Amino acid sequence: MKKILSILLVLAVMAGTAFAGGAGEGAKKEVTIGFSLWTMKYTFFQAVEKGVRDACKELGYKYIMIDQNEDATKMVNDLNSLVGQKVTGIVITPVDPGAIGPAVQKARDAKIPVVCADIGKTGPVNALMISNNKKGGEMAMEYMDKLFKEKGIESKKVGVGRVQPQYTYASQRGDGFVAKAKELGYSVVSDLVTQPPTAEGGYDTMQQMLSANPDIAGVFFASGREAVGAANAIKAAGKSTLVVGYNGDPEEIQAMKDGIMAGDIAQQPYYIGYQSVMILKDIFAGKTYEDAVVPVDVALLTPDTVDDFQKKVDALMKK
Amino acid sequence: MNGARGSARVWIASRWDSFGLPALIAVLVLVFSLLSSTFASGYNLFSNLAFSSLVGIGAIGMVFCIMSGDFDISVGSMSALAGVLGASLVGRIGGVGAVLVTVATATVCGIVNGVFVTKLRIPAFITTLGMQYVYRAIAYIYTSNTPVYIKDPFWLFLGSGTVLGIPLPIIITAICFAAAVYVLRKTPFGRSVIAVGTNKTAAMLSGINVDFIKNMVFVLVGFFVGVATVVTASYLGSVNPGMTGQGYEFQVITVVVLGGTALTGGNGNMLGAFFASLFLTYLQNGLGLKQVNSYWQFVATGLVLIFAVGINRVKSALLGQREL
Repeated sequence: MKKILSILLVLAVMAGTAFAGGAGEGAKKEVTIGFSLWTMKYTFFQAVEKGVRDACKELGYKYIMIDQNEDATKMVNDLNSLVGQKVTGIVITPVDPGAIGPAVQKARDAKIPVVCADIGKTGPVNALMISNNKKGGEMAMEYMDKLFKEKGIESKKVGVGRVQPQYTYASQRGDGFVAKAKELGYSVVSDLVTQPPTAEGGYDTMQQMLSANPDIAGVFFASGREAVGAANAIKAAGKSTLVVGYNGDPEEIQAMKDGIMAGDIAQQPYYIGYQSVMILKDIFAGKTYEDAVVPVDVALLTPDTVDDFQKKVDALMKK
Repeated sequence: MNGARGSARVWIASRWDSFGLPALIAVLVLVFSLLSSTFASGYNLFSNLAFSSLVGIGAIGMVFCIMSGDFDISVGSMSALAGVLGASLVGRIGGVGAVLVTVATATVCGIVNGVFVTKLRIPAFITTLGMQYVYRAIAYIYTSNTPVYIKDPFWLFLGSGTVLGIPLPIIITAICFAAAVYVLRKTPFGRSVIAVGTNKTAAMLSGINVDFIKNMVFVLVGFFVGVATVVTASYLGSVNPGMTGQGYEFQVITVVVLGGTALTGGNGNMLGAFFASLFLTYLQNGLGLKQVNSYWQFVATGLVLIFAVGINRVKSALLGQREL
């Protein structure tokens, strides 16, 4: 009896406030963008967020941001919540791109367009803005090849530390690197997935590579933090293996300045975030985007070019 | 102690188990509704009710487990393994079969845990700590670390469908909790679980087959984790060997403790676990809607847990009950 009473109590309050809340809603004419973000822990995502936020500010859109806290189920609940708030458009940088399908379907059923800002997509999204990852991997190998020739390194042994396979778009970085390596006559002696996807994971994985192939000449780690970890492992082992990373984060910039990392493929997270909102603006104006993949250029960073790059990034983030 | 104040405290304490959390939820809902009209929308309240089932259903088995004096921290990994196994077989045995395989796999994991604890006499904490790695490793190996997508309409319906306007997860949760409360309060099994958790030796001496009870408890943990996995996988449309169930054990145990079940075993609060999962879901959702930084949400959850355990101790002291 007591239990039933308590359940009824909760339901009564919920019902009451549901009616109270509903009465106050007027028709919203202003545009609201809901942005669901993997996490704010890393500079890459902070840049994506700033891009989305700045674009909304410029266009006069209302901006709502929910942090997924790196939790896939929270991500889905947040998406449903945004749909419930009747936002005009959704931008999402998903922690688990494979898990957004049903939620995106709900959004599209509610006539809310969805643009994925990086990572990947499942379900009927309107567009995905993603770096040209395959090209990035190829650029990494081409740069390594150039460095080997400059330094007179004869060894043809290279290795790759991949991202986790569920990130199908980021996985193309490793694919591009391996394909270009074979094309240029190199032998990929170590092809591993960096586990866990952290700096420590990069360190561990690099150590494994060195144990198996002590004379490995160059490695490509497809994610920034992992590459810096690998660079530290090489330094600790007293080797001179060349490391190229991916992302363009401050840690990699520092590693290049410290001389432990040879190069880095930089993405444009601010631009990805910013353009995602611009795509939504086009969709609101009537342009059709359906399951579109919009590739974003990546750039090669070398120890000479990092300072300029850092200045540009700082300027964007201070805006 | 002053007579009037003292009796008021005792009055609240005696009703805390039944009304404490629901009252807190009512207050929470009221406060957040005033702060955010979106929170108060029927859509939001109901969708969060459905969402709370992901942890709530899994907590049912854990309530039995903790009441019997044991722990199971392999539930997250169980979820991953059961999920990938079931999801991968959709093409071969259809949606209904795949769902049954998911529940069965998790239940089998529970049986395995139970065997280690009762036959090999390895403490539950150690057993499930070790099996946690094993189950997830099997999930990784089986799928080569790739996610498995669910497109089957039946399975997807379980998470996002509605019956008479009520989201299916809510209906499933209601049935599960109703059954669990009945088993706990009205069956000899339920009473035996409480007895084993209160005093294992006394229970054994009074004729209860302690090993059987413990085995059944782990089976229940597995079963309900399986059901929760089915609903979660439906929500997400995919199962991921690395991500599914990560941190699940902590969420479930938090909900069980917040709900009023003592970690020392013995009596527990089954419906309390339901209300706790509801409370935490609304708290997280309300803070999120007010754009509160996520780290403060973690602080809030931690404080709520400590506060809840504190309240339980005060309540026990006031009623002269055994210290938690």
